[in-house]
Amino acid sequence: MKRRHLLLAAAGAFAYGQSGSPGLYAIQNATIHTAAGPAIANGTIVVRNGLIEAVGANVAVPAGAWAIDGKGMHVYPGLIDSLSRWGLPAPVDGPPRIVVAAPTGGGGRRGGGDEGPSNVQFQDDGGPEERPSNTSWVKAADLVQPNDASLAAARNAGFTTAVVFPATGIFAGQGSVLNLSGGKAGDMVVSSPVGQFLSMAAVRNGLASFPGSLMGSFAYIRQIYLDAEQYKTAKAMYAQNARGLQRPAYDRALEGVLESPRALLPAGRKVEIDRMIRFGKELKTPVILYGGTEAWRAADSLKAAGVPLLMNLRWPERDRDGDPDVMDSLRTLETREMAPAGPAVLAKAGVKFAFYSGGLERPADVRRAVKKAVDAGLAKEDALRALTISAAQIYGVDDRLGSLEPGKIGNLFVTDGDWLAEKTQVKMVFVDGKKFEPTAGGQTNGPA
Amino acid sequence: MRFGLFFLAMAAFAADDSFVLRNVTIHPVTAAAIPNATLVVAGGKIADFGAKVAAPKGAKVIDGKGMHVYPGLIDSASNIGMSEIGSVRESGDVTELGDFNPQLRSVVAINPSSEHIPVTRGNGITSSLIFPGGGIIGGQAALVHLDGWTWEEMAIERNVTMQMRMPTISTTTFNPAFGAGRRPFAETKRRYEERLKLMSDFFEQTRAYKQRKAVGGAGFAVDRRLEAMLPVLDGKVSLMIFAARERAVKDALAFAAREKVKIILAGVREAGSAVKEIAEKKIPVILGGTLELPLEEDAAYDSPFTLPGELHKAGVTFAFGTFSVQFARNLPFQAASAVGFGLPYEEALKAVTINAAKIWGVDDRIGSIEKGKWADLILTDGDPLEARSQVKQMWIQGRPVSLETRHTKLFEQYTKRP
Amino acid sequence: MDRRKFIGGLLLAPVAAMAAGGDIVIRNAKILTVTKGSLDGSILIRNGKIAEVGPNVTAPAGARVIDAGGQFVMPGIIDCHSHIATEAVNEGSVSVSSMTGIEDTVNPEDIGIYRALAGGVTTANILHGSANAIGGKNVVIKMRWGKDAPEILLDGAMPGIKFALGENPKRRGGSDSGIATRLRYPATRMGVEDVIREAFTDARAYKATLDDYKARAAKGERVIPPRRDLKLEPLVEVLEGKRFVHAHCYRADEILMLLRVADEFGFKIRTLQHVLEGYKVAKEIKEHGAGASTFSDWWSYKVEAYDAIPYNAALMHKKGVLVSLNSDDAEMMRHLNQEAAKSVRYGGLTDDEALALITINPAKQLAIDSRVGSIEVGKDADLVIYDKHPLSNYAKVQKVFIDGEMYFERDKDMSDRAVREARRKQLMEKQKAAATAARPAGGRRPQ
Repeated sequence: MKRRHLLLAAAGAFAYGQSGSPGLYAIQNATIHTAAGPAIANGTIVVRNGLIEAVGANVAVPAGAWAIDGKGMHVYPGLIDSLSRWGLPAPVDGPPRIVVAAPTGGGGRRGGGDEGPSNVQFQDDGGPEERPSNTSWVKAADLVQPNDASLAAARNAGFTTAVVFPATGIFAGQGSVLNLSGGKAGDMVVSSPVGQFLSMAAVRNGLASFPGSLMGSFAYIRQIYLDAEQYKTAKAMYAQNARGLQRPAYDRALEGVLESPRALLPAGRKVEIDRMIRFGKELKTPVILYGGTEAWRAADSLKAAGVPLLMNLRWPERDRDGDPDVMDSLRTLETREMAPAGPAVLAKAGVKFAFYSGGLERPADVRRAVKKAVDAGLAKEDALRALTISAAQIYGVDDRLGSLEPGKIGNLFVTDGDWLAEKTQVKMVFVDGKKFEPTAGGQTNGPA
Repeated sequence: MRFGLFFLAMAAFAADDSFVLRNVTIHPVTAAAIPNATLVVAGGKIADFGAKVAAPKGAKVIDGKGMHVYPGLIDSASNIGMSEIGSVRESGDVTELGDFNPQLRSVVAINPSSEHIPVTRGNGITSSLIFPGGGIIGGQAALVHLDGWTWEEMAIERNVTMQMRMPTISTTTFNPAFGAGRRPFAETKRRYEERLKLMSDFFEQTRAYKQRKAVGGAGFAVDRRLEAMLPVLDGKVSLMIFAARERAVKDALAFAAREKVKIILAGVREAGSAVKEIAEKKIPVILGGTLELPLEEDAAYDSPFTLPGELHKAGVTFAFGTFSVQFARNLPFQAASAVGFGLPYEEALKAVTINAAKIWGVDDRIGSIEKGKWADLILTDGDPLEARSQVKQMWIQGRPVSLETRHTKLFEQYTKRP
Repeated sequence: MDRRKFIGGLLLAPVAAMAAGGDIVIRNAKILTVTKGSLDGSILIRNGKIAEVGPNVTAPAGARVIDAGGQFVMPGIIDCHSHIATEAVNEGSVSVSSMTGIEDTVNPEDIGIYRALAGGVTTANILHGSANAIGGKNVVIKMRWGKDAPEILLDGAMPGIKFALGENPKRRGGSDSGIATRLRYPATRMGVEDVIREAFTDARAYKATLDDYKARAAKGERVIPPRRDLKLEPLVEVLEGKRFVHAHCYRADEILMLLRVADEFGFKIRTLQHVLEGYKVAKEIKEHGAGASTFSDWWSYKVEAYDAIPYNAALMHKKGVLVSLNSDDAEMMRHLNQEAAKSVRYGGLTDDEALALITINPAKQLAIDSRVGSIEVGKDADLVIYDKHPLSNYAKVQKVFIDGEMYFERDKDMSDRAVREARRKQLMEKQKAAATAARPAGGRRPQ
C-alpha cells in the first residue's frame, strides 16, 4: 500500500508540471542524442505544439519559447518499451477457457443414452473451430487505463511510449502504440492496431482442452490463419455480389486476425527462433519474434530471414529457490552467460531488434539490464536505438517516433549525465511535447 | 521346440533330486571353469564335480555334450509374485499405506502361481530377493526360490533384510493435467527434513521400546511395529536402504553411522564422492538397471553403463537387482551390459551369483557350484549373460524345473494356427 | 578463436571432424551387410554414399582411411517408433488430432539424439503419442546431431500419421485418467472404431466438397472456395495412399478391426505399432500387407499386454509379416542391437534375420529402403562400427557415420568430457558468485 501512495504522489507532481506548459520549449546547450546521427554537443532542440520543430547545433530559440538551460544535460529520444503490459488491467488468473462439452446426460453428436451413468459429462471433439483461447479482436487501446501507476513510473525513467498488448491466451489480441501522456486514453494512441500477440500457452490451458500441447497450438494458429484467408476471400466475393452465394458467417476471431498488420510470435531458444521464422513464412503475415534468450546463436537465421526480434531485458538468471546441490546444465549455464551478449551479436550482424521490459517491474532494473548488454559488447548508440528508433521501425511508426528529428512527435527525456550511468537522474520527460518532471525523491518509486 | 523336447526327456526322473551331468563345462564361479567335467547331485545337493569324477553306480546320467553348467542366477531385487499386471492396482501388493511398516512380510504376498515366476526362470534365474515398498520402511524382504507349490516352499530366508527408502529432495513436480512444474527448494527441503526427523524419531522409539522390553513388568505392552525393528537394531537383520542419487547415498551413510545399523544400499545410480566411504565401510550395494538413461543432460552417455565397473574398481561389493517384475528376466543382460564398459566379465557373473548370495548371507547354500551347496543349476548352450544363448535345463535344489512359460505355451499354440 | 563456435561446439558436440564429400575408406572390417551376407573387407564412401563394398577395395588418392581393426560394421540402426527430438508428443485433448504434426515441434538439440547415436541409431520414426484414436503426423529423422531442424528430417520419406487403439485412446473415457476433467469419447474399443469410421466418413465428405468446388470453379461458376480443414486433409491423403498409417495396437481383436476398417475405406495400414498380439493374427496382417513393429520382450505392464510374448517378432516373421523392433523409449533406443539379439533367443531367428529387424525391415516399413537399412552400393553411408558382434551384449559402438559424416566417435566423446565439465564448473562458480554479489547484505533481494 505504501508503494501505491508514493506513486500517486508522483503522479500529482506531473500534473503540476503540465499546468505550466506553454506548448513551446527550447532546450539549449545540451548534448543531444538524436538516434538518427551522431550526438550533437551544445545543441538546441525546439518542441512546439507537441512536435519537434528543430534540432541542431545552431538552432535559434524561437520567440516566446520556454527556454531551458541544458548545460551539462543530455537529451535522448523518449524510450519505447516495445512489448509491454503497462496500463492494462492485471490479467485474471489463467486464460479464458472455452471447453466444448456435450450437455449433461450425453447428447451432442455422440450422444449417450445407453446404460452408462446418465449424469456424466463428456467432451466432444472441440477443435480449432471452437476458437479456444482466442480474443484476437481485443485491442490494447480500448483497454488501457490512463491513470495506471505503472505508466507514471515508466515515464519517470524516460519512457514516453509503450507498445502495449493484451497477453492472455493464444490469440491474446491486438497491440497499440501508446504515448505515456496521461489524460484521455484516446489521446495516448499513436497507432493501433499494430499486431496480434500470439503465445503458445497450451499447457496453461491444461492438457484436457484443445490445444493441449505445443503441437496443438501450432496446428490451431495455422488453421486460424488459413480460415482468415478463406474468410477474407468469401467476404470480398459476397460484398462484390451477394446473389447466389452462401452468406459467410461473421467470425470475430477471424476479424481480429485480419485487422492485425503483423503477428508477434514467442521465440527464446535458437530452436524456437528458427522454428518461428519458418512458421511466420507459412502464415503469410509479417512477423515479429519476441524473447531472444538465445539470440546470440541465431543472428544468422534472423538476418537471412529479415525478421525483427524483440529482446527480453529480463536476462535469465539462476533460480533463487533452486536446489543448491544441483548443478545447472551446461546448456543453462551457457544461456545465462551469453544471453546479454545477444544484442551485440545481433547489432554486428545487422539484425533489427528492440528491447522490451519483459516483466521487469522497476524502470531502474531496465536500465541495469541494458547496461548488462552494453557490458557484453553492445555499443551505447545501439542500446539507445534498441529502445527508440528500432522499436519505431519494427512497428512502422518511425515516421513519427523514435528519434529526435524535426516533424516527429515531441517525445524525449533529459538527464544530468549518461542515461546508463547508475547515478544519473532523469530531470525532465516530454511526451507529446508536454513536460513532466520526476519528483525530487528520485526517478523511481522508492523501495517498498 | 528344442527346450520343450529336452524337458520332456527329463520328465522321466523329475521326481528325484539326484542325478549326474556328464560331458559338460562346469563354471563354479568361485573357481576356474572345468571342461569335459562331470557333476554329481545327490539329495538336492552338489555331491561332487570335476574332470575326473565318476558317476556313482545306478545314478541317472544326463549327457550334456557341448553344454555349460552354471549356478542359478540370483536377482537381488524384484517384486516377482507381488504384482501381476502393472497397471492393475488390484493385482499389486507391493505398496502398503503408512510410513513405517517393518512388521509387513513380503513373503506372504508372493503368489506362487504368478506367470512371472516361470517367465523369469526361463532366463536362468533361480532365486530372487522380493521386497515390499511404500512409505519410509516398507517391510521385510524375502529371498525365495523361483519354484515351489507354496510361498513356504519357495522361501530361502523369510526376513533377509528390512526395506527402507531414504527421503529425497526433489524440486520437480508433475501434474497430469498441466505437465511438469517446480517446487521451491526451501519447501521441499522442509518436507525432507520432516521425514528425516520421522525416521530418527522412529529409531528413537525403537530403542526406548527395547529398554522397556528389557525391564519388562506389568507396564510393558507389545508393539508389533517396534518389535519387528529389534532385529535391525541388534544388527541381526540389515536395512536395505533405497538411495539413488549421491545426496541420498550420503544421507544413508550418515544415517547408518548415527543409528549404528547394518545397511545395504539399493538402487544406487550415482555414488559420486561417497564411493570411497562405501568401499571402506564394506557396505554392499544392490545396483539397479545398467541400461538406464544418464541422470542429467551433461552426464556422460555411458554413465549408467560404467557405474558397475567403477564400483568394482573402488573395491565395492555389489550385486545386480532388476527392481522390476516384467523385466526381471533381463537380469543377465543388465549384468552383461556393464562388461563392455569396464566391469570384468567374472565380476558381472559373480554379481548375479556368489556375490548376491554373500550379500544376503546365503552363500553357504547358493551362488556357486561347490560341494555341499544346493544344486541350483542351469544348463546352457553358452554364456548365460548373452541374449543369444539358451537356457536348456534348470534344477532348483536338484529338482528339474520346467522352463515352460505362459509365453512358450502361447508361442506353441499360435505357431500351430493354420 | 570464435567463442560462439567454441561454445556451440561444446553444447552440441558433433564430431563432424570429417569434411563431407571427401572419400573415406573403412578397411579391415567385418562387414555385416544384412542383405548380402557378411564379409571381411572394406567400404568406400563417396559423396556420402556407399560407393564400393568388397574384400579388396583400393583407396582412391586422398581418401581418408579408417582402420576398423577387425571390428564389426553394420548399417545404422533404424528405430520405427520413437518420441525423442520433439517438444510435444501428445495432443490429448481431442480424439482426432490429425491437424497436429511433430514437424512443428522438432528439437534437433534434444540430447536424446546424441544418446541414440551413441547406441548406433541413425534413423528414427518420430511419432505422435497414443492418446487419440487418430493422432498427429510423424516425421522420419536422421540423427544429424548439430544440424538444424529441417536438416535432420530425412528428405523424401513418406509422410505418415499415428493411430492408436485399445487402452490408451479410451483412457480419458474413464474417471481414472488422472486428469480431473470432463470425460472424453471414446471409452471403449467400440468407440475407438466409431471415431475412426466417423473421421474417414468426414474425410470422404470433405474430399467430395473439394472436388465439387474444383469442378464448379473449372466450369467458371462463381463459388466461394471451401475452407481448408487441417484435420481432414491428412485423412484424405491416407485415403489417396499419400500418407502412411502407423497404428498403435495391442490386442488381436482391435488389430483385426482396424485392418477391416481400412479395407472398407480402401486404404492400407502401413505399420502396426507394438502389435503385441500380432502373432495371433499374423495371417490377417500378412494378407492386408501391414508391417509390424514390436517390442522385443515387454509384457504385463497393462491388461492388453498380458498375452504379449517375446516370440512375437520371430513368429510374425516366420508367418511372412515384415517385422521390425522398435524402442518407443529414449533408453531402449540406445541398445536396439541387444533387443534384436533377443529374437535369436526367443524364436530362433538367424543373426541376419535379427539384424534385419532393426535395419532393412524398418527401412522397408518406412519406404526408405532405397536409401538406408543395409550396406549396399548406392545407399547412404549410414554405418556403425561396433567393437564386437552387434548382437553380443558386450558390444559397444565405436563410431557412427551418417551420409558419410562421422557423428559419433567414442574416443572423442571421452576426451571432450573433461573440457565440458571444466567449462560447466567455471560458469557455475561465476554465476553463483554473481548471484551472491547481487544479494544485499540483509540476504533478501529487493522485490
